[in-house]
Amino acid sequence: MSDKSRTVLDLKGLLCPMPVVKLALAMKTIPVGAIIEATASDPGVVADIPAWARSSGNELVTLDKVADKEFRFVVKRLK
Amino acid sequence: MSDMVETALGVFERQLGRPLEAALEVCARCGVCAEACHYFQAEPTVENTPVARGEALRRVYRAEHDFLGRIAPWWVGAERLDEASLTRLAETAFSRCTLCRRCTFNCPLGVDTPLMMRAVRAMATAAGVAPEILVMLADAAIEKGRSPEIFRDLFIEQMTDLEPELRQVTGNPQARLSVERPGARVLYVALAGVHTILPPAIIFTAAGEDWTLSLFEAANYGVFLADPGRAKQIAARIVDEAKGLGVEEVVLAECGHAYAALRWEAPTWFGGSFPFRVVSLVEKIDTYLTQGRLNLDPRAVRERVTYHDSCNMARSGGVIEEPRRVLRAIAPDFVEMTPNRHEALCCGGGGGLVALPEYEDLRLRAGKPKADQVRRTGARTVVAACENCRLQLGDLNRHYGLEVEISAVADLVVRAMRPADLNEEAVSVRAEAIAA
Repeated sequence: MSDKSRTVLDLKGLLCPMPVVKLALAMKTIPVGAIIEATASDPGVVADIPAWARSSGNELVTLDKVADKEFRFVVKRLK
Repeated sequence: MSDMVETALGVFERQLGRPLEAALEVCARCGVCAEACHYFQAEPTVENTPVARGEALRRVYRAEHDFLGRIAPWWVGAERLDEASLTRLAETAFSRCTLCRRCTFNCPLGVDTPLMMRAVRAMATAAGVAPEILVMLADAAIEKGRSPEIFRDLFIEQMTDLEPELRQVTGNPQARLSVERPGARVLYVALAGVHTILPPAIIFTAAGEDWTLSLFEAANYGVFLADPGRAKQIAARIVDEAKGLGVEEVVLAECGHAYAALRWEAPTWFGGSFPFRVVSLVEKIDTYLTQGRLNLDPRAVRERVTYHDSCNMARSGGVIEEPRRVLRAIAPDFVEMTPNRHEALCCGGGGGLVALPEYEDLRLRAGKPKADQVRRTGARTVVAACENCRLQLGDLNRHYGLEVEISAVADLVVRAMRPADLNEEAVSVRAEAIAA
């Protein structure tokens, strides 16, 4: 589900490195300033997503564990 | 000459040493390598032969280093590198060669075509035409090493959350899943994902190992880019961590390229040997079995099981008999694929290909010989000691309807643990979860 400013991404069930790969591909499809809200089940995202955001020059707005084996994060495209 | 081409040629010149020159000079065009390559086996065309891939770089070499190549390029098949040919070379090196080295082992002259493809990957990476995703994954891994504070607390929290399950499964109320614990004998480096953390944690606990978990992951995408600068920075995270903790041994997750890189290549990047041993988890499990530190049910895995040799673990890494000894200890109906060991066929997922969606169709087609091989064994479970192989085998399983389970060695070992080592009820729950 997506509009121009907000895209929702379901990354549950994906193992490393696919959550980051899918997120990066989705990031290219949205305009600068827009956000992606994603959910993932792999705990590896708690390390991978912050590092990816910093190295790619995008903003990690939030990253939380919302349930057992479910993580939700919001990233904003900055460039 | 454009900056891109000049950069690529500069990298090419810096890589020219005896091994690469030999690969570029000595090919007899006999074509034996063709049948060795899984791309050619899947689709027998000239472009799918290792000799054709190598020839593309040889044309550039002749244009730069052969007298006739400079004055009469058409005579010797020389070709100046330009942006279009660099892009074509890069496409070939990243999508039509998994660096599996089966062609090299079968070449009567030992021509190392993967070394040439690594040279092209290095040229492409420096010139900015390598696959963007591999660059991104490598840079994110480097960032983890620079800024561990951005994820350390949340990562440790996730590991602490796993401890109740570890204690329940092992029946050991003292079991811990510590991260970067000073004084530990073993540093275990997993991949990003609990599936490569919990089963080894159960095994280490059952074996009474004094171990701790690395904050970082074993994967090294700098290797796939053939970029020693990035590869060294990624490896340095683990090397520095292991030195800082003073561990005796670094045990790497079941990951082929990570093992080949840290065990065999990394010491040269750092100018010498490490003050710790580097072993794979599979070797460690084999050692525990030899030492009688694991109590396994020899009939635990009743279905037919086969083992896929990861090219990096077997052909490049030399880890060949260890996984077989472990599997024979728990699976009475263990059967081999043919060919196997150092002659094993690549699954088609190596060289970073499983992370590149743009080549998925080609990757699945190139994996057909492996899928056929799996089907011929009649096995219901295919074990691989490499994450990239398991991802590819999972895709082949779905694409070709193989109806098999894909498993890591550690997962089957946990399934085979006896109650003396484990809480039996919890293990059966865990085994079902792994199978699901």
